[in-house]
Amino acid sequence: MIGPAVAATGELAPATPSARRLLGYAALPLTLFAALVAALASVPLPWSVHAAWVPSLGVDLAFHVDGLAAQMLLLICGVGSLVFIYAAGYLAGTPRGGRALLLLSLFLLAMIGAVSADNLLLLFVFWELTSVLSFLLVGFSHEQEKSRKSAQQALLVTGGGGLFLLAGFLLLGDLANTWSIRELIAAAPHLVDEPLLPLALGLVFVGTFTKSAQFPFHFWLPNAMAAPTPVSAYLHSATMVKLGIYLLARLDPAFGQLLLWDVVLVAVGSITALWGALHTLRERDLKRILAWSTVASLGTLTMLVGLPNPAAALAVASFLFAHALYKAPLFFVVGNLDHGAGTRSIDHLTGMRRYMPWTAAAAALAALSMAGLPLSFGFVAKDVITAAKAEAELVALAGHAAVIVGAVSVAVAAVASLHVFWGRDNASRDAHPHEAPWTMLLPPLALALLGLLFGIMPATVDPLLAQAAQAMAPELGAVTVEASYDAAPVLTALALTLLFGGAIYAFWDGLHRTLERASWLDAYGPAAWYQRKLQALSHIAAWHTRLLQHGLLDRYLLTVLAVVTAVALLALFLSAGRWQWPAAQGVSLPLAAAGAIAVAGALATLRARDRFVLLLASGLVGYGCAALFLFAGAPDLAFTQFAVETVFVVVAAAVLPEIRGRRAAAPALPPPARIEPLKLLVAVAFGTTLSLFLLRAAGLPFDTALSEFFGANSVPVAHGHNVVNVIIVDFRALDTLGEIAVVAFALLAASPLFKLARVGRGGTP
Amino acid sequence: MIWVFAIVMGVAVAAGTYLALSRDLFRMVVGLSVIGAALNLLLFAAGRLDSTAPPIIRAGEQVLAHAANPLPQALALTAIVIGFALLCFSLVLVVRLMRATGTDDARALRAAEPPSGEGVKPPLEDI
Amino acid sequence: MTPRALMFEVAMRALYPLLLAASLWLLLRGHNAPGGGFVGGLVAVSASAAYAIAFGARRARLRMPLGPPALAAAGVLMALASGLPAALLGLPFLTHLWTTLPLGVVDLPLSTVMLFDLGVYCCVWAAVGGYCLELLGAQEHNT
Repeated sequence: MIGPAVAATGELAPATPSARRLLGYAALPLTLFAALVAALASVPLPWSVHAAWVPSLGVDLAFHVDGLAAQMLLLICGVGSLVFIYAAGYLAGTPRGGRALLLLSLFLLAMIGAVSADNLLLLFVFWELTSVLSFLLVGFSHEQEKSRKSAQQALLVTGGGGLFLLAGFLLLGDLANTWSIRELIAAAPHLVDEPLLPLALGLVFVGTFTKSAQFPFHFWLPNAMAAPTPVSAYLHSATMVKLGIYLLARLDPAFGQLLLWDVVLVAVGSITALWGALHTLRERDLKRILAWSTVASLGTLTMLVGLPNPAAALAVASFLFAHALYKAPLFFVVGNLDHGAGTRSIDHLTGMRRYMPWTAAAAALAALSMAGLPLSFGFVAKDVITAAKAEAELVALAGHAAVIVGAVSVAVAAVASLHVFWGRDNASRDAHPHEAPWTMLLPPLALALLGLLFGIMPATVDPLLAQAAQAMAPELGAVTVEASYDAAPVLTALALTLLFGGAIYAFWDGLHRTLERASWLDAYGPAAWYQRKLQALSHIAAWHTRLLQHGLLDRYLLTVLAVVTAVALLALFLSAGRWQWPAAQGVSLPLAAAGAIAVAGALATLRARDRFVLLLASGLVGYGCAALFLFAGAPDLAFTQFAVETVFVVVAAAVLPEIRGRRAAAPALPPPARIEPLKLLVAVAFGTTLSLFLLRAAGLPFDTALSEFFGANSVPVAHGHNVVNVIIVDFRALDTLGEIAVVAFALLAASPLFKLARVGRGGTP
Repeated sequence: MIWVFAIVMGVAVAAGTYLALSRDLFRMVVGLSVIGAALNLLLFAAGRLDSTAPPIIRAGEQVLAHAANPLPQALALTAIVIGFALLCFSLVLVVRLMRATGTDDARALRAAEPPSGEGVKPPLEDI
Repeated sequence: MTPRALMFEVAMRALYPLLLAASLWLLLRGHNAPGGGFVGGLVAVSASAAYAIAFGARRARLRMPLGPPALAAAGVLMALASGLPAALLGLPFLTHLWTTLPLGVVDLPLSTVMLFDLGVYCCVWAAVGGYCLELLGAQEHNT
């Protein structure tokens, strides 16, 4: 009694876990984070683990953690811990909340594997795992169509890109003759002249660009905002989307000197940054605003990886760190607003600090860093970036892109803090806003405060960032990350971005309306292209299904036979050089007569208009064959064939009247006497092919060992003079047993059919 | 001798295949029977046609003298019977089918694959 | 009432046992001359089919020693059983054994091969005959 009841309630209302229960999941990242920090403090980098997995394929469980990987690990576990705490509060009371945290835990492990793997194929496995888990997490609210479509899009783009990545890895591994990433980097100088290298790198580019939402594959990222906020903060801002950047940075020491590498990365990164900045201004949904600004930041990172000078490596490491420290708390803030005020639209969010003071504080601190104001880590990062760009010979596009992205960042920071939390509360809302629980306040505050702390004391993270930078650019000497408040270019750049950013913020609504009207962006962007391709795919599928699955039984058979005949003929032609036609000899008169009867019967079946005549003609073929057997020395076969043919003709003739009776009621078929040329052609081709095969086989040497054995042992061993019968019942008795069993089972299998036939007899006329 | 077998087999297979490609279910079954007979010829002839003496050891002798190859005969013999069982099964099936559907036109049997023509709905729209 | 050819019925009464006897003769001589279980079984099928045309499928079915499914199963079991003595003696399954049974005047040769061939005969007769009788019966019920 209890079992079904429990099952029934489980069906109706999925478990809605409490925050306390969900907090248990946070133990995993917290433990890992503590272990990581302790290890970093005691064991010097790099760390290596190696174990054979599939030795025959060269796939090893090889892990290698250097400065870059350690930095990623810190982000994954550190931000992860806070995301798990936040998620416990955010998902409390949500149906299936436990599942989201379980998936996040799996994602955490997959990310750890991906950034620490030293084997290309191992990296690929973890890489695809993160794509699949992202699919499951984006589609968490699977009862909403939008979630499902967004999840599908994320999977198709990143998973499809993963396949390109695999192809690129296979090519790279083949060129370098190793699957180890470290060995690949060591071997890279010898690969420069390989003609296939550009192709391999191009494939790797597609894989990393899809993962890191680079133009033109960026569109899945804003749509992935259908995911729960902690997922967005973790996967689509702090960690997973950085995986592509990470891989590019990892391979930078190998290929950073190639012109192709620099040009592609700088160009794609700059375009992505501009495109993201442009679309940031087109949104009213705060979460999507953050998503687009994330796209812009990822573009900036890609561009920085592409810069050839070593200082850029430090910029990548710093910005990677800074971005996670300010973007994740801002996502948390959006989640709190969504949670407390019931909306994410900036039109309905003003003056929120009255209701949500702690969230407002977190937003202000994070915005400080995002805008790159002094005393924040964002300022330090911006400083390093400016220095890196000053060193590099930048093309105009990249330079302008950086300034515009910086300005838009300032504007977004202002919107997320000033517009939403300060100013007058004059917007209409359905719900009365309220502050979030502590689980949702601690994470943004902690991250934003850390951003401030590292900004004031960059020396605390200096060793780590320097090591990460050295992993990207080995020639980089000892460097320090510090804010240089006195350097003129830095202050100029700061002033410039603040000025522009302030202007954008001031005219946000006007800019928004202008861009809103630019509908061509929607009609011609990559997102529209993706949509059209996806629809084309289903149309192609429908078209070719209609073409092949037409439901015409005779056509199916015709197609199959035509293909079989074509393949068989091809095989014959390929061996045509070694043909030997058998000699035409030993034809006796009775044999020829029997053959003539069979041929006459076969031809008569084609012309037979009446079914009874058709049946008799087919009987003629059977009798002709039986006679052929008889005159060719096979009396057993002849008798069997005679018996079979007789019974078939008699039985079929007995069934004919009923078929005739049915026929009167049935729609008329084309007269069977009219020859259908295509079918005749395929039939003749099939018959001819079999004849040619027989003649061809006759010219080949023949092994008679088995037949001689049977002939010699029939009487002494098996006491039988009819060798055919002895083979059937003695030498190959097991075969025969199987065959009669099949015949008997066929009768059993058909007996339901008989019963149906008897039932149907009374009903149908 | 192989030529007689090859020609008869080829013609019979062609005729049987043509019948089996018909829309008329009864002709299909008759086509199966013709193909079956012809393929047994193929099976038998593939074992070479060196002698026309039946592979039966004369009384008093111990070893088979020069005779037709017995092995393909044994295989073809069971093949004939099994083929015939299959043929009977097809005939039962066709009679049953005609009784259930009232037609012997293979093209009219479309319950599983209804005629195309209805537009196929694209599975994905804009997000 | 279905009109039937009287002569055919009369002839069939005599022909049926004769045809069955012929099929048995083919079965028994099969080991040393053309014939055997398959051919014998098919001749028995033709006997049943002819009987069904004369007297109807139901009566033809009754004239068989067992119902078609049971007879087919019995045939397979006989063939299986013919391999058991060898298996019991430690020889490979389906290794056939020969013996003679002295009956005073003549010695009757016996072998497991005969049992095997009889199984083939029964199975073919029942299975193929089952199909044919079904087809003939279906026709006859409708007229």
